[in-house]
Amino acid sequence: MVVESVSNSISLIRRIGAQNRDAFSQFYDRYSPIVYALALRMLRVQSDAEDLLQEVFLQVWRQATAYRAERGSPEAWLINIARSRAIDKLRAIRRRERSFVLTDDPAAAESPDNVETSAGESETRLAMNSALASLPEAQRRVLELAYFDGLSQTEIATRLAEPLGTVKTRMRSGILRLRGMLGTQAA
Amino acid sequence: MMATEHEHWRERSDIYALGALDGEELKNFQAHLATECPVCEAYVRETRETLNLLPRSLRPMTPPSDVKARIRRQIDNDAALSITAKAPARAYLWRRTAGTLAAAIAGVVVAGSYFHFRYEPRHTVYSAVVRLLRDPSTRDLPLHGAGPTPSAKGRFLWNESGEGHIFVTDLPAAPTGKMYAVWTIPRNSAPRYVGTITTDAVGQGGLHISSRSGTAVETFAVTLEPDGTTAAPTGPMVLVSKQS
Repeated sequence: MVVESVSNSISLIRRIGAQNRDAFSQFYDRYSPIVYALALRMLRVQSDAEDLLQEVFLQVWRQATAYRAERGSPEAWLINIARSRAIDKLRAIRRRERSFVLTDDPAAAESPDNVETSAGESETRLAMNSALASLPEAQRRVLELAYFDGLSQTEIATRLAEPLGTVKTRMRSGILRLRGMLGTQAA
Repeated sequence: MMATEHEHWRERSDIYALGALDGEELKNFQAHLATECPVCEAYVRETRETLNLLPRSLRPMTPPSDVKARIRRQIDNDAALSITAKAPARAYLWRRTAGTLAAAIAGVVVAGSYFHFRYEPRHTVYSAVVRLLRDPSTRDLPLHGAGPTPSAKGRFLWNESGEGHIFVTDLPAAPTGKMYAVWTIPRNSAPRYVGTITTDAVGQGGLHISSRSGTAVETFAVTLEPDGTTAAPTGPMVLVSKQS
């Protein structure tokens, strides 16, 4: 099932590379909910998350031919693009010493439409939450600060007032445990 | 390569895959990756594949429907600009075809169809600009040359619905590896990238913009950026709506 889904997504990307708008529409419908959720979690401002979503999918449209299946799943490729762009924005904001405006709570932005589209996706979310929950709090914290908040190891050490070596150890331990629990398969 | 040496790099590859490696450690690891070490490349790729499942812990959120509509409009605009850039070659082909078909009625039909299917996106942009000009709430702001291009000029039509159009003149083509990024800058907020404008051999260019509405825009600017820079401006300003 998972292999079929990945194969179908790869086929969509190839058709997008040939400027097929129907394939792009299907790809957007499939992945925009997860990219948008990530954008909201990282940027926290709804308008910025919408801008990011637009930029990410325009990049998909313009650079679909750059995708290489042997280098990762379509979802990992897409998430890499989204996260990389979100981190650029976060770091630009920090450089300007601007503080986030936390007026748009991602949770509050949910509507009745914002639900999993299939039981399978719900199970995946539960599995991911379960994997994260099984990590010691200190390991989960450093992983989330790095992954979702785009902080470097040094910035995390400063933020938590912990030695850099401790932060590194927690990151590595957390990643190794996640690798053990999740492997590398993608939905 | 010895196993112990790879253990040394593996410690860094986990944190690199997470995007948290920094400073000298980052530079050293990037230098190691540049040697095309297959072991570390594969390890980083696999770790990223695992970490990129983390967004699956979030509840999927259906984005507002207008985001997809904006993307579609931008794709249409890309197509229109592409057609504009290729127009001379196409005009030549059209003339050759028209000559072959002479005054035959079939030629008129073919040319009409060709225009409809190949130029329709550009026509859509022209129609959109006319709509903007007709709307009394559309602002028409002059753009002034700045930094490396003091003689550049331009106009920015902007409607707070999020639609706009920028025209520029006397702006030399961006050097290889660079691009002209267009930004809208709301009051007390970060600049927002709204598109990339290209100019022709005589320094003229135009770009239609469909972006998110909402925050009132105070300043409009064009900066010279390395290709792909859209998160935030980093390069010199070449056109701006306010004179300093």
